[in-house]
Amino acid sequence: MGIAEFFQHLTNGLTLGGIYALIALGYTMVYGILKFINFAHGDVLMVGSYAGLFIYNALRGDAPLGPWVLIAFFLAMLASMVISALLGVTIERVAYKPLRKATRLAPLLSAIGVSFILSNSAAWAFGTNSKKFHYPFDNTPFVFKGVVITPHQILILSVSLVMMIILKIFIDRTRMGKAMRATSLDQQTAMLMGINVDRVISLTFSIGSALAAVGGILIALDFKVYATMGTMTGLKAFVAAVFGGIGNITGAMLGGILLGILETFGVAIFGIPSGLKDTIAFGVLIIILLVKPAGLLGKDEKEKV
Amino acid sequence: MKKSLLITVALVALISVSVFAGGSGETGPKIGFIGPMTGDNANYGILCNNSVILAVEQFNAKGGIDGKLKVTLVTEDSEGVPEKGLSAIEKLSSSDKISGLIGPVFTGVAFAVGERVQNEGIVMLSPSATHADITSIGDYVFRTVVSDGLQGEVAGHYFYEKLGYRTIGVLYAKNDYSQGLFEGMTASFEKAGGKMIISEAFQVGDKDFKTQLTKIRSANPEAIYIPNYTAEMAQILEQASQLGIKIPFLSCDGFSNPDIYNLAGDFTHGVVYVGPAQVAESLAYAKFKSDYEKKFGVSPDSFATNAFDGANILLGAMEKVYKATGTFDRKAIRDAVAATKDYQGVTGTVNFAENGDIIAYQGLYRVNGTTPEYIGTFTVVDGVLTQVD
Repeated sequence: MGIAEFFQHLTNGLTLGGIYALIALGYTMVYGILKFINFAHGDVLMVGSYAGLFIYNALRGDAPLGPWVLIAFFLAMLASMVISALLGVTIERVAYKPLRKATRLAPLLSAIGVSFILSNSAAWAFGTNSKKFHYPFDNTPFVFKGVVITPHQILILSVSLVMMIILKIFIDRTRMGKAMRATSLDQQTAMLMGINVDRVISLTFSIGSALAAVGGILIALDFKVYATMGTMTGLKAFVAAVFGGIGNITGAMLGGILLGILETFGVAIFGIPSGLKDTIAFGVLIIILLVKPAGLLGKDEKEKV
Repeated sequence: MKKSLLITVALVALISVSVFAGGSGETGPKIGFIGPMTGDNANYGILCNNSVILAVEQFNAKGGIDGKLKVTLVTEDSEGVPEKGLSAIEKLSSSDKISGLIGPVFTGVAFAVGERVQNEGIVMLSPSATHADITSIGDYVFRTVVSDGLQGEVAGHYFYEKLGYRTIGVLYAKNDYSQGLFEGMTASFEKAGGKMIISEAFQVGDKDFKTQLTKIRSANPEAIYIPNYTAEMAQILEQASQLGIKIPFLSCDGFSNPDIYNLAGDFTHGVVYVGPAQVAESLAYAKFKSDYEKKFGVSPDSFATNAFDGANILLGAMEKVYKATGTFDRKAIRDAVAATKDYQGVTGTVNFAENGDIIAYQGLYRVNGTTPEYIGTFTVVDGVLTQVD
């Protein structure tokens, strides 16, 4: 393999991984606080993408590419973050909160139910064919010594990076972040210390869902919007979260990026047939569970969020 | 005891009354259609189903069978999935009791449904299932589309001889249609003297082809063959351009669906594809096209054109059998379809080979911007590429 090809695969893998990381954050934050996997996360992403698409199309109209279209795109992204956050919080209130004292299996099953309700409703309401999300900018690629990178890929990398840094600062430096960390360590004690646990949980769901909406819109530019778009992406991001150490935020970022690179390089370098690309993620999941169940950065059941 | 006897008698009476009632007014026969009516591939199913609707409507408008029996069309959605296709044929065969089937639209579904119609003895005419082995299922399976056997053969020879490519790369889907074309084209391309230097696969429904395309880009073939359906091909063409791939793309009859231009836009420019042979715009075709456009507001694609001929051949066979025997005997209808001789349809002159394949030619197209331009009509005779017009 030539140098150019290597770096091309690396670029492709990094961008794919950036998106996985963004979505994995939602899984890992919820797990950190509630010790439960929110399987409806991928479908919140899907709803966020539809919302983003409709708002963007409405704002843009027939306008040709230009600054206004970019503004429309970011406005649509903001709006879809808000909508997804509201949806995430609502789902938590309706489908998970009443089950907080039930067995650990109950909210998991409830989550799977919510996931089906969302994706089937979307298929019913918006149809099952993919909808194109037009680039808000000219996506002509740049070429550096044989390695091609599109403006869209740069957008993915920079948006994911910025989002992750903001999140990291929020959790490490702010009072609310501190409350989240405390809740994840021990809900009972946190409550005794005067932390409003319900508010912390709602906040967790809204942040995770808003990030999912961003991830969804970024993927949609390349892969279009469709009712089942959250399923495979969600599963992969879940694997990324487990890979990095579920409950650990830095772990989710690392896990996402590594998974994207592994998927790309598995086919390109290790000679895994390209038809089996999707199985790489799940192979990784099994190996991690067998070898290091706590994940790369997991510290065996301590310090979450 | 007495009471139950009474009920039994009443029931028997009721049943016999309804049986006789059914017998008095002869009801028209039904034909079935199976294709993807929803989902990412619904564009193929809907266009074909329109053709069958049109054919049945025109047939009934002329009086129907023997001037008195109206034919009813029952459409079932397969979503392009074999399992759904199987439950569709189950319903059509046992509950609707169809006399014949147009479809399925997809090769994978046609394999599953083909086995069933063969066992049930229902004649089936697929407008679009192109895999070389479809008609080997049995003598009840026909198609009004050219087998991949021929499509692949013409493709391989044409790419080598006329386009002058010596090396080729392939990106295909792991389904019967795509893989069948890939294998057929490769065999004939290599027999002609070329070399297939890289083949990459993906799963149906994949959206990200960058890894495969990057590998193909590095192998640097003279051309890339993508025998797929529109949703995937649009995605591939767009991502290839994002990767700065300048290698020309070659494709198959899946490219003749106009939806590709909505999905892929300008990325289609320069693609050369093997599609249906264009018959010198016959009057029959012109009338079909205008009737179709008037009724449905869209243009028929090549599969839909095939479906129209298939439906009319089936209707003709049913009428012939009814006139001769007064019934819709499925075996007789099958024989009548097989006996089709020089049927003048909208796709040209239709004859069936012994195995149920249509005897036909292939067309070559080159896309200019978003408009396909016809290059010519070709076939392969004894391993030699021959231009027909």
